[in-house]
Amino acid sequence: MDGMQKHRILMVSDFFYPNFGGVENHIYYLSQCLLKLGHKVVVVTHSYGNRSGVRYMTGGLKVYYVPLRPFFNQSTFPVFYAPLPIIRTILIREKITIVHGHQTFSTLCHDALLNSRIMGYKVVFTDHSLNGFGDLGSIHMNKVMQFTLADVSQAICVSHTSKENTVLRSGLRPEKVFVIPNAVDTSMFKPALEHPSGPEVIIVVISRLVYRKGADLLVEVIPEVCQLCPNVRFIIGGDGPKRVRLEEMREKHSLQDRVDFLGAVPHARVRSVLISGHIFLNSSLTEAFCMAILEAASCGLLTVSTCVGGVPEVLPDDMIVLAKPDPGDMVHAIQKAIFMLPKIDPQVMHNRMKELYNWHDVAKRTEIVYDCAMKCPDLDLLEHLSRHLSCGALAGKIFCLVMIISYLLWHLLELLLPADDIEEVPDVILSHKSDEEMLAKN
Amino acid sequence: MVKFSISNARYIYVHDQKYPSEDVDIHHIVSRKSIAKSLFVYILAFLVLSCSIYLYVLEEKSISLVFYSLLFDIFLVKLLLGKPVKKESVVIMPAFGVQLETHYMSGKVIRCFVPIDKILKPVLVECVTAVTCYWTLSLIVRGESEMVLVFKSLRPPVKMLVPVWKALCAATGSKEEACTHAE
Repeated sequence: MDGMQKHRILMVSDFFYPNFGGVENHIYYLSQCLLKLGHKVVVVTHSYGNRSGVRYMTGGLKVYYVPLRPFFNQSTFPVFYAPLPIIRTILIREKITIVHGHQTFSTLCHDALLNSRIMGYKVVFTDHSLNGFGDLGSIHMNKVMQFTLADVSQAICVSHTSKENTVLRSGLRPEKVFVIPNAVDTSMFKPALEHPSGPEVIIVVISRLVYRKGADLLVEVIPEVCQLCPNVRFIIGGDGPKRVRLEEMREKHSLQDRVDFLGAVPHARVRSVLISGHIFLNSSLTEAFCMAILEAASCGLLTVSTCVGGVPEVLPDDMIVLAKPDPGDMVHAIQKAIFMLPKIDPQVMHNRMKELYNWHDVAKRTEIVYDCAMKCPDLDLLEHLSRHLSCGALAGKIFCLVMIISYLLWHLLELLLPADDIEEVPDVILSHKSDEEMLAKN
Repeated sequence: MVKFSISNARYIYVHDQKYPSEDVDIHHIVSRKSIAKSLFVYILAFLVLSCSIYLYVLEEKSISLVFYSLLFDIFLVKLLLGKPVKKESVVIMPAFGVQLETHYMSGKVIRCFVPIDKILKPVLVECVTAVTCYWTLSLIVRGESEMVLVFKSLRPPVKMLVPVWKALCAATGSKEEACTHAE
């Protein structure tokens, strides 16, 4: 941070703790490391049950749980102007300089980015997932993306595949998009002191049992592997609509003693499940960046994965066996992995992961993106409108109308509640050594 | 005897001690009337009423239009100017307790007494609504699942809340833990 600009960042997403997932983890760990680098970080998300209001997390990370109810899939109802007053208040009272939105499917993120850039703030967007082009939902989502990213300061993607996908979907200039991969908290995912011994090879699967995660592929792969390799056993962690199909497969092929179902695995128990196995199997049909692979590799497991999306970019070739999303190829890859197992040293793998993927490095790279965003020129309303007008013959005009209304509402708020009347809040200083130690570990 | 006073466009904070010998500490938050706002509302109400009278007299519309506009005016004035709370007070009696008072425009006063031994800690907290954030002063009371708001109706700025919070901390023997904030 020597001589570098200190930023005041507002992270906005519908997805945050107490919910668990890749986006939630990313926001939390990135925020912690940015705080450690001397920046101010505030998170805004919607309320979760009775968790509403302001909460403080490790390292003085401030979280605003805004009382907006989730509407679908943990996302709030898409009303462009509803969050404007609260977002404006938070931006002023926390003296924010950069607004950082996360995830395409977060409506709160889109609303916040729209309102923030109208108010002249620099905005950064991180895309955590891949999206299609063919179905109705994807077409609609891509149009929204085009609108949100039309005048975003900078964008971040978690893999080069994800960058390609985002650029194609949103029409964003490629030079505006940075690629910063995810990381893993290696202190949470350490290999077992004693590696599972014996002739048995245990293959671990931890994922939501849904179509996108390739549960149907598992239905065909597991019986074939069990037939070819009598010393293989499967442990399946996770729940979802496809669990019924997997259980039917187990009954049909009489694999009750070789396939164990754990059901939904809480995040705190993931490591204990991983270290009970030798191979981690990922059968996703689409993936921007698979966090589960990193966690498994950090625990010293050899990974077998479908060669989709950003997965080939995640691990070095000697730590992963890639296969086409086809049952035959998957079976062949598992056999290859079993053959490779004697050469795998979990501790060496863990140490390599520690060097390759750490959140401090991600934070340092994100810092560069923020510096670039701050150098972007300030746009007036006409420049904003001209950028949105190019988003389509009809859509462009609708987007412009949305922007104009947002602009008028902002000025009305300035009149009713001037910025001078909004009190700025003091910054929290770490008062406990334990907090600093916890941050140092990450 | 007024010891200290702070004011802004919307509120006036007054700290006085009526009984110096008995060490009774009184803190008032007085709501200020905005002349510009009142003027704007009354002009708006007058315009609505005059338009309806014009339509009734010259355009020969129904008399009910005048009555409806009159009702609308009453509703408008009530909505925008009908701030029933005139002031809120905190009476601190160190060895005895804290009395919270709400004074209405009508002259009605609602009092709530919290014994000193029941107060665990006075806290300054940030409240978040769907449209705004503001500071509020609350008391953590023994045996109560929810905190007791010191100022229930008014939302004074934090600079007015801090002296009241400090006085409550002194009265209840709580530590002023402001070390977590950078001044």
